[in-house]
Amino acid sequence: MASVVFYFQVHQPFRIKDYSFFKIGVDHQYFAIQQNTEILHRIADNCYLPTNGLIRQAIQRSKGKFKATFSFSGTVLEQFELHRPEVIDSFRDLLKTGCVEFLGETFYHSLSSIFSETEFERQVLLHKQKLKELFDYEPATFRNTELIFNDRIAELVKEMGFTGMVTEGTDRMLGLNSPNHIYELESLPEFPLLLRNYTLSDDISFRFSDPNWPAYPLTPAKFTDWLQQLAPEADSIGLFMDYETFGEHRQVETGIFSFLAGLPEQVLKHDTLDFATASEALARYKPFAQLECSDTLSWADESRDLSAWLADNMQNDAVQKVYSLEKKVLASGNEELVKTWGRLQTSDHFYYMSAKYWFDPTHQSFNPYRSPYDAYINFMNVLSDFEKLVG
Amino acid sequence: MIRRPKILMLGWEFPPYLTGGLGTACFGLVNALNKYAEITLIVPHSSKEQKLENVDIVGLNFYGLGTEPDEPISIKKGVEVVEVDAELSPYPLKTFFYKDIKALTEPHEIRALYGNNEPYGANIMEKVATYTEVVAKVAEGKDFDVIHAHDWVTYPAALKLKELTGKPLVLHVHSLETDRVGEDVAKGDWDSVYKIEKLAMEKADRVIPVSNYTKECAVVHYGIDPAKFYPVHNAINPEDVARIPNDTGQKIVLFLGRVTFQKGPEFMVDTAWKLVQRYPNVVFFVAGVGDMLEALKLQTMERGIFDKFIFGGFLSKSNVKRILAMSDVYFMPSVSEPFGLSALEAAAADVPCVISNQSGVSEVLQFSLKADFWDTDKFANYIYALLNYEGIRQDTTERTRKIINELTWDDSAQDVLEVYKGLY
Repeated sequence: MASVVFYFQVHQPFRIKDYSFFKIGVDHQYFAIQQNTEILHRIADNCYLPTNGLIRQAIQRSKGKFKATFSFSGTVLEQFELHRPEVIDSFRDLLKTGCVEFLGETFYHSLSSIFSETEFERQVLLHKQKLKELFDYEPATFRNTELIFNDRIAELVKEMGFTGMVTEGTDRMLGLNSPNHIYELESLPEFPLLLRNYTLSDDISFRFSDPNWPAYPLTPAKFTDWLQQLAPEADSIGLFMDYETFGEHRQVETGIFSFLAGLPEQVLKHDTLDFATASEALARYKPFAQLECSDTLSWADESRDLSAWLADNMQNDAVQKVYSLEKKVLASGNEELVKTWGRLQTSDHFYYMSAKYWFDPTHQSFNPYRSPYDAYINFMNVLSDFEKLVG
Repeated sequence: MIRRPKILMLGWEFPPYLTGGLGTACFGLVNALNKYAEITLIVPHSSKEQKLENVDIVGLNFYGLGTEPDEPISIKKGVEVVEVDAELSPYPLKTFFYKDIKALTEPHEIRALYGNNEPYGANIMEKVATYTEVVAKVAEGKDFDVIHAHDWVTYPAALKLKELTGKPLVLHVHSLETDRVGEDVAKGDWDSVYKIEKLAMEKADRVIPVSNYTKECAVVHYGIDPAKFYPVHNAINPEDVARIPNDTGQKIVLFLGRVTFQKGPEFMVDTAWKLVQRYPNVVFFVAGVGDMLEALKLQTMERGIFDKFIFGGFLSKSNVKRILAMSDVYFMPSVSEPFGLSALEAAAADVPCVISNQSGVSEVLQFSLKADFWDTDKFANYIYALLNYEGIRQDTTERTRKIINELTWDDSAQDVLEVYKGLY
């Protein structure tokens, strides 16, 4: 028996507006309100609301056998509250089915786990509070920004009271082991890890609409067949992806919704397969082996490391400058400043500065800027103003 | 073994006599092409010291001395002659009138015509007309497969040679009149250069523009068949430039080139004005002269930023190196720049470049900062960033360094050889 775990990431950053150096010292409103609102509306209509509807239906039809796990950044929740509160209601409805789990993460979808343990903890707690406030929910399992993970981060997460964690099933960490089991770290026993099967996950989130892919077009039957072949040797099969895959990254014309709608029924035809939430899978299966993870990993790009955010001088320069302000910002006691500082920590800002933009079409499609230089300059101009405000 | 092609090359500027990018580019190419071809290079003015393997350099300043033919040359009457300001480098020509040229010109007169090291000057059309006739004479006794001519000054000679010999003609377009004076002036009745360029491109077998940008200009402004064009980018032989510490306490933004309409000096002033509002600790060093230099000075006074400019005049090669080694940003807001070799020189000296999209060099300098020439807000924002934020300085410099290291004249020469193929 193998349990299929769907986990969907729901995130939108507060993108920064066009901010030239003329505005430094003059304009302290940094965010692209109109652009962010437009994008939120578009994705709410094209993705969040219809996909929630499909999932609710799948749960009802399967009489609660279909399960799904979600994680929300605090920045997307704030934007829902501001502009589309009905999306929150829609997720509340899903939660009521009892077949859905929400994960813990950093409020600002930040890289704080790499740069500041105190800030990391602050944001995880902030995120917990938000889930409590909006959903009266307490998360048990943790997901770090972009599945960024190493021994130390796992330790911190466990210390904060989480009972398990999801992360990427990289070849580097697994060696010859399969991602389709629950693991634990050698350095941190009794803290189970659920891993992403990146091949099957990317089949849905990236290759699905690629006509040159040999498996194109992907049907629920074909995909279920692959899952079933794995079942005898597998415990958990982690299918983790951006929720925006449905209707935004892969548009309705690609057939992505039909695929998602048809899959639960196909899977549940087989006795060897079922669905589980992340926490259910972590509790159900015994750790298969102990792993070691001193090198930080993530789910981004082929390299599955930190290079999408921290490879270039520009990225490191910007991120270090942000975290160098920690003490001053927190000491200011100014709530607005602290909030803005948090929003400036969102990993997307550093992703936009990546030189991979020039060589990787995936980077291009997720970037509102025309070049990494423009992303960096805009951010640094904002930061120059912010630094003056902090004093 | 395949026979090495014999190239009759017609040039105008050649080291050690240079005023702009034309001579530098011509030398770079010849100095790499000579590994694969036998070249006879005819230029108005050469130096006996300038020697290259497999290249026979013929300077008309030595006409009639030694092995060249020494008869008087008959020049077509009533040729168009141009009178220009006595600027150092009046490449864009200004006023026009007709003047008769002597029907028969003696060798010593020819030598005198090209005797000084000013390649253009007031009598540029007389020089061009004479060059045309002399080249025909000199080439008479030469054996060659292809005629390769650099820029409009050599095109009348190239056309005449093609007519006389039937040999294939390749034009090398380093710049166009539409770049130099703007489309309206170029297409006006008074501008004969545009007509020369158009005729030559129409008659040529193949055209090598120095960029895709220049190809587009030729197609759009001259109506030439796009299939004729084989763009080949210029290259650079990087020399190590050690930074010279700048102890003035002010950052230096460098403008290097002729101060003409084409180079966008007014956009530099506007950019500078915007920048200094927020970042006064900077000077703009203008290295170059040209017909808009006085207007540029007046504009800086009008905008109250005259003290933010240093006018360095025309710089020798060694002084160019010195100022590059001291500069913090190289700025080229050109309105229309066929290539822009000096941007490559700046890049090779590890000076971060802010350049206009309307330039050929922007096709090569993929990782430099680029904006449309009129977008002075963006230029100012870029220069501000380069002067203030270390991350972008490092990234643009490191990435550009890789490009410069991979850019060789040998590659350009091999591209040119491909253009010759099938012509002879």
